[in-house]
Amino acid sequence: MIGLLSFPALLILIFLRVPIGLAMFVAGLVGMIIVTGDATLPFARLKAETYSTFSNYSLSIVPMFLLMGHFATLGGMSQALFHAASSFLGHRRGGVAMASVGACAGFGAICGSSLATAATMSRVALPELKRYGYAGGFSTATLAAGGTLGILIPPSVVLVIYAILTEQNIAKLFLAAFIPGILAAAGYMIAISVYVRLNPGSAGTRPREPYSERMRALIAVWPVLLVFISVVGGIYLGWFTPTEGAAVGAFGTGLIAWLAGGLNRATMAESFYVTARATAMIFFIVLGAAFYNGFLALTQLPQEAASWVGDSGYSPWVILIVILCFYLLLGCLMDSLSMILLTIPIFWPVIQELDFALVSMVELQTARLDTLLASGAELPAVLLADAQTMLANGQELSREITRELGLRGVSDGVLNRINIERTAIWFGILVLIVVEVGLITPPVGMNLFVINAMDRETPMVETYKAILYFVASDLVRVVILVAFPVITLMLLPI
Amino acid sequence: MQGFMEKLSRLFALLGGIVLTVLIVIVCLSVLGRSLNSVLNGDMMQQALPDLANYLLALGIGPINGDFELVEAGMAFAIFAFLPICHLNGAHASVDIFTQHLRLRMNRFLRMMIEFVFAAVLIIIAYQLFQGMLSKLNSGQTSFLIQFPVWWGYALSVTGAIVAAIVGVYIAGLRVLEFSANRDILPVEMGADH
Repeated sequence: MIGLLSFPALLILIFLRVPIGLAMFVAGLVGMIIVTGDATLPFARLKAETYSTFSNYSLSIVPMFLLMGHFATLGGMSQALFHAASSFLGHRRGGVAMASVGACAGFGAICGSSLATAATMSRVALPELKRYGYAGGFSTATLAAGGTLGILIPPSVVLVIYAILTEQNIAKLFLAAFIPGILAAAGYMIAISVYVRLNPGSAGTRPREPYSERMRALIAVWPVLLVFISVVGGIYLGWFTPTEGAAVGAFGTGLIAWLAGGLNRATMAESFYVTARATAMIFFIVLGAAFYNGFLALTQLPQEAASWVGDSGYSPWVILIVILCFYLLLGCLMDSLSMILLTIPIFWPVIQELDFALVSMVELQTARLDTLLASGAELPAVLLADAQTMLANGQELSREITRELGLRGVSDGVLNRINIERTAIWFGILVLIVVEVGLITPPVGMNLFVINAMDRETPMVETYKAILYFVASDLVRVVILVAFPVITLMLLPI
Repeated sequence: MQGFMEKLSRLFALLGGIVLTVLIVIVCLSVLGRSLNSVLNGDMMQQALPDLANYLLALGIGPINGDFELVEAGMAFAIFAFLPICHLNGAHASVDIFTQHLRLRMNRFLRMMIEFVFAAVLIIIAYQLFQGMLSKLNSGQTSFLIQFPVWWGYALSVTGAIVAAIVGVYIAGLRVLEFSANRDILPVEMGADH
């Protein structure tokens, strides 16, 4: 009961402007005192918990990625990306706005934060959009929406945190975010072309660039490609752990920034200050969440909620949609990281109990049989042909057949584990997207404020009007990704 | 006073940044060493230039022993060292959509109470971390691979935690002054960058 009451109490504290990390910390502390009767337990935990949270090896990715994003700005990568994108797209109708989205997607590939992407790209793209006669509200809305790509396209700080909370593989989550990220960029470009057709006066024209110029602009983007491929590719191929990948990326980006003349003692110190503020903010929330979740675990609330939902007999899809709507609402008020730290410990046990049947036994057996064949195993020809026909007809292979074929890893337990893992990855990507929609939803979306603050001449209302096109494109994408989980999971082998 | 706090927080942010950079370099060297090691041990080098390969291997080219432990200990210090500047600049994430409609006097009161609690929490964290350090010191626990005493990492972190607590008390004091004098001394919001 106290666990259940703590949640609204926590929300009230947060809405009273109590810093989110502090609110969770205090709620956890007070909650533990009430449950156990005195302060021995929470104080004993504090002796080691701050240190162990801050020294978590996986979490050390966070400051490294933040530093890397700042180095990328210093190295002029945001300009290079924008120039390349606009030399290819700029002459189209609404092309400079499309180029801004493209450049945001590119910058998102080396920066793990939404607000940082929005702010960095605005500095480069806003003056250009103005120069070619793009309407103020349309420009700011484009950049606010484009900024959300920063968190979706890997590497992403929020995905790292989600992976740690749900004990999933960071590399797989990064990979799964890739296609939804591309879809997001494409969706925003469609939104732009719809907008300029309905509001013809909102965008000017820009002369076509010759191909030689386009190639030159494209070649200038090589550092971004190099960093992205070595970091994300290296993590996925298992060359190094995600933390090592972040270190390599930060080092490489720093080197590029230094070679480009953007990194000296003053800018280095400034990078440290910016990274310090953002890192400390994130880790304090992580600490508060760890404390609050420790209290929730004492009250057994997550398990009870999970079994209650499991017994209630609602369709898993209804529950999923309710949860996503909840995120959409809360996302308008709170930043994505705080929301995920606050809610995943409660929602993940619930989602874990639901069966979305993402992988069937037939699919699992087919995949295992293909792997076996690819490894060059000698199988009895008649039996193999039979098995393949059965699988093609959607029939499960019996235990005897799998044994004779030497097919391993096809038990119900394995199937269940794979399904939970894929549900975790799919759910994580969905939550990430929905929370990001909150960031650009009027009247309180945070990205809108950040960008609008950089363009004082444009009234907020103008941004609100234009952003609705992007929000609509986001909602369409969420519906598609919910209806077809395979889009998100396509790149992940079973 | 504000100038002193600013300098102190910046100093710790710089120290944390330098440690972070050193850790990044250590991890990169370790990755490089590991890759070179597997190349030198690989068939190609062992057949083409076995003497050179074995000579280089004998020099100790390989992953850095215990890089994992160094990252963990160093990162804890860096994060604690980052806390003061975050706190001093009011960079903690919060939701201000509802309170902006409240009266100024009410807002000052809320800010005072919040900073009071925050300072108390930072003091508790620093004190309990110090206690944690003492118990690691007494137990003599060392890290797994390179066997450095675990309390060293704690001791470094305690410095950052103490500075954060000092900054917390300073801010809380300012907010009390602001509430009693009913005027702003600190800039209301310096903006969070994340």
